[in-house]
Amino acid sequence: MKKVSNPSLAARRSFLSKLARAAACTGALAGAGALGVGVAKGASAKTEAKPAAEGGSFPTKDYDWTKHQWAFGVDATKCIGCLRCVEACKVENDVPRNAHQFRTWVERYVYLEGEDRARIDSQQDPVNIAASGSEKEYRFANRYKDQKVDKAFFVPKLCNQCTHPACVQVCPVGATYKTEDGVVLIDHDYCIGCRYCVQACPYGARYFNEEHGVSDKCTWCYHRITKGMQPACVEACPVGARIFGDIKDKQSPVSLFIRNNRVQVLRPETGNAPNVFYVGIDKEVN
Amino acid sequence: MEPLINVAPYTGWVYPNETIFEWSVLIAVYPYLTGLVAGAFTVSSLYQVFGFERLKPVAHLALLTSLCFMFFVPLPLLLHLGHPERAFNATITPHWSSAMAMFGYFASFYVALLLLETWFAYRPFIVEKAQQRKDLLGTFYRILTLGSYDVSDKALRYDQKWILWLAIAGIPGAHGLHGYVGFVFGSIKAREWWSSDLMPVIFLFSAIISGVSLLAVIFVVSSKLRKIPIDLACLKGLAYTIWGFIMVALVLEGLEFANIVYKGREGVEMIMEYVTGPLLVPYFILQFAIGAILPFLWLSYMIWRGTTGRALIAGVTTCACLVLFSVFMMRWNVVIGGQEISKTGKGLLSYQMTLFGKEGALMAAALIIAPFLVLVVLTRLFPPWEDHAKSSSSLRSHA
Amino acid sequence: MPKHIVRLLGLIAVVLVVSLLAIQFMTAESFYRFGPYRADNVTEIASLETVYQTPAYCKDCHSERHAQWSANSHKSVTCETCHGPAKGHPEKGKLPIPSDTAKLCTLCHEAMPGRPSTQPQIQVAQHANGQSCNTCHNPHAPKIVAAAKVSGDPAAGKQRAAACASCHGDKGISPNDTWPNLAGQPAAYLAKILSAYKSGAQKDVAMTPLAKELSNADIQNLAVYYAGLSCDAPAQSKVSGDAAAGKAVAKNCAACHGETGVSSNPAWPHIAGQQPGYLVNVLKAFRAGLRKDPMMAGVTRGLSDTDIANLAAYYAGQKCRSPK
Repeated sequence: MKKVSNPSLAARRSFLSKLARAAACTGALAGAGALGVGVAKGASAKTEAKPAAEGGSFPTKDYDWTKHQWAFGVDATKCIGCLRCVEACKVENDVPRNAHQFRTWVERYVYLEGEDRARIDSQQDPVNIAASGSEKEYRFANRYKDQKVDKAFFVPKLCNQCTHPACVQVCPVGATYKTEDGVVLIDHDYCIGCRYCVQACPYGARYFNEEHGVSDKCTWCYHRITKGMQPACVEACPVGARIFGDIKDKQSPVSLFIRNNRVQVLRPETGNAPNVFYVGIDKEVN
Repeated sequence: MEPLINVAPYTGWVYPNETIFEWSVLIAVYPYLTGLVAGAFTVSSLYQVFGFERLKPVAHLALLTSLCFMFFVPLPLLLHLGHPERAFNATITPHWSSAMAMFGYFASFYVALLLLETWFAYRPFIVEKAQQRKDLLGTFYRILTLGSYDVSDKALRYDQKWILWLAIAGIPGAHGLHGYVGFVFGSIKAREWWSSDLMPVIFLFSAIISGVSLLAVIFVVSSKLRKIPIDLACLKGLAYTIWGFIMVALVLEGLEFANIVYKGREGVEMIMEYVTGPLLVPYFILQFAIGAILPFLWLSYMIWRGTTGRALIAGVTTCACLVLFSVFMMRWNVVIGGQEISKTGKGLLSYQMTLFGKEGALMAAALIIAPFLVLVVLTRLFPPWEDHAKSSSSLRSHA
Repeated sequence: MPKHIVRLLGLIAVVLVVSLLAIQFMTAESFYRFGPYRADNVTEIASLETVYQTPAYCKDCHSERHAQWSANSHKSVTCETCHGPAKGHPEKGKLPIPSDTAKLCTLCHEAMPGRPSTQPQIQVAQHANGQSCNTCHNPHAPKIVAAAKVSGDPAAGKQRAAACASCHGDKGISPNDTWPNLAGQPAAYLAKILSAYKSGAQKDVAMTPLAKELSNADIQNLAVYYAGLSCDAPAQSKVSGDAAAGKAVAKNCAACHGETGVSSNPAWPHIAGQQPGYLVNVLKAFRAGLRKDPMMAGVTRGLSDTDIANLAAYYAGQKCRSPK
């Protein structure tokens, strides 16, 4: 270890802490330590190529995730079921264009006269697919127009970015995680594709992308919100049924939405503590 | 070319993303295999640790069986993964809050333990072969000796100690491995059908009965093939073991079902519709009636009447086969059944098993059959038979 | 301790050490930086390119459209909702203009149980007889403006009209082919266009200074006066276009201007019997964007000079309908 340049110092520190962890696991490392130091030189070269986020903000140079805490509001009383959010989401996030995999979707609840349970469908229902004419396009069929409807409403759904996400809990490799600013992300380069997280989500928010062999779900368009934009679905919603913002900012749309409404979350009994807040849903929605 | 996604038919209201079954028949095969491992190991422990002398004829066979099936435990998982090449991520950066992250460690610990236990049990035999044979196989045995031909009394006493302690460690190991599999399902609160505190124990006991049954079948078949008389005392010992554990397994599974029905939480209507509809035959008839209650009554009858001879052999073998089938149905009903009940609690799906493909029925069958083939090879290399392995008679000689 | 035990322990130790080292060195660089995950992945995801670019992205080049859209009721529907994502535009080509507007518009506006009553909805079967939505509605400013009520004094209007007579004729029938007839036009339309000249929203070398002199009362009076005159005019002689061909093109105009050029809505002008030269000029002005009207700009965009001449010939030859 003759020449010690600055970047290699950091690498060596990280290596040494790794080594310390290893040593804690076994006492038999005394001999291997010497071997390891030799390898450390090689490892340091690798770190120098890393994009330098150090010293600046993280995750990007223009965005500091410690300064935000994102939240999402859904005003179901405004939703018109046009499904432009679903369309925008599929395009923005390269979600497979079929009727079985969605990052966001819209549910329709219809109580017909004389029925006490809602009839529920979503854009993937065969009747709705028949109305749109393709699994790649989405529209709600006007299937109840000739019936007497007591009550009907639409409910947009998406990942709840739970405070205690069941999906993150069960991931065996740490390929899904909660960011500091409150979004649950999936590392598509690290996911092994076991689909345990898909099983664990009580909201059905995750799907498995067969083509890429990894799980996928809504990220609240993390690549947009970190650039100061709105998620694609919020941007596309023509009636303001989707509200997004930073709850650290008391005047943000979502802060006002939560403050000015009696909001509720889906399946609070799971203890997941969702961060999508709903207004205007009723007992059948979960 | 198989289609990228297989869409499941459904009734009622299911979440859009639920229309694809994420865990296929392979995930039912996986706990089945680990169960057989844990069960077979139980038999060897009963002899090694608890001194059930009458199980001695199958003690080595149990170890080999356990080992063979353990080799194949990771396979259904690997075949199922979207990125099998990243499987080691689970051991490189295990995420400790995940029940599944333990798998890599549990499984490798357990494989190591089985290998060690087998090695110690067979060491005198290995040394003997290493000295006798000069061919390539001899080299294989010589490598296994680790260059030490020491089979003195002192060395063998050492080995005995290792065997005992490994067997003792193996009991929590095997049962931990399997209890953990139960936890993988039982800890999922999103699925009412899985989410149960009893799940790990249920898995454990069904594992034990399946493993013991497997051993009974292998024991009978191998004796027939080798044209030697079947040790009826040993077979009876296995039958007692099955009988005892099947009782516990039945009670636990009954309790589990009673709990779901009695608590009647959200979505129970759908569960009732499911168990009285699509699940009626696989669950009540196949898993319970034919697979568990029938062999239980039959075994009880044989124990009560003191049945022996051909009737005992036929009876126990049939019962063992039924239990093996029952336990597979239990795995199926848990893994597939749990997914057939929608998370919405308002709809049911129907799993469409494919025949071909890496997650099809043929692959599942191959994965269950393959360990038997490996077992045949292993029994050639390391004969587990009493009459054959005279050198291993030193086993438990101190007891 | 026997030799084989020592060797076995050694073997186990070697395997353990190798595994532990492998774990240490195979762990991704940024793993555990913030938690049990790869921190670099956050940067990777945050750095993904956006596909939808927001209306602000469209504003610079399509400022006029943007201004109109953002001032009207469809301002909550973003550009890319109808025209598709703007990633790669304009470098990689044009964005689509929706062709099947009935399909697109009914996504939001088909009357359907569950849609809040505040949402404008139509019974598709009973609305517009299957015509395209954009026949009557400008997608960027979809509300059809109801004609303003005009009340004025025709006598006062007649006095004021003396100043207009030199060009538009003393009975509102223009002596010159390039100036429009005013007689019998809907009062609401006349008032609207005069106000537009006065405010500068509409510009014309001759009309602008004249209209600036008018008071609001003058405009009302003039409108009522001309609207009350008979539109019967002498047949046009110097018509260059093919009226039959013009009739075919005129189908696209019928929804607003009526089949024969008699408008159904007093906010829109009658064009039956109008001066052909004027019609040609005004259509070309719409097409070139010199005369501003979002609806007309859209429908004239695809017209050729021949189409325009034919249309002018067709409408000039139609019988206008005089007020009763």
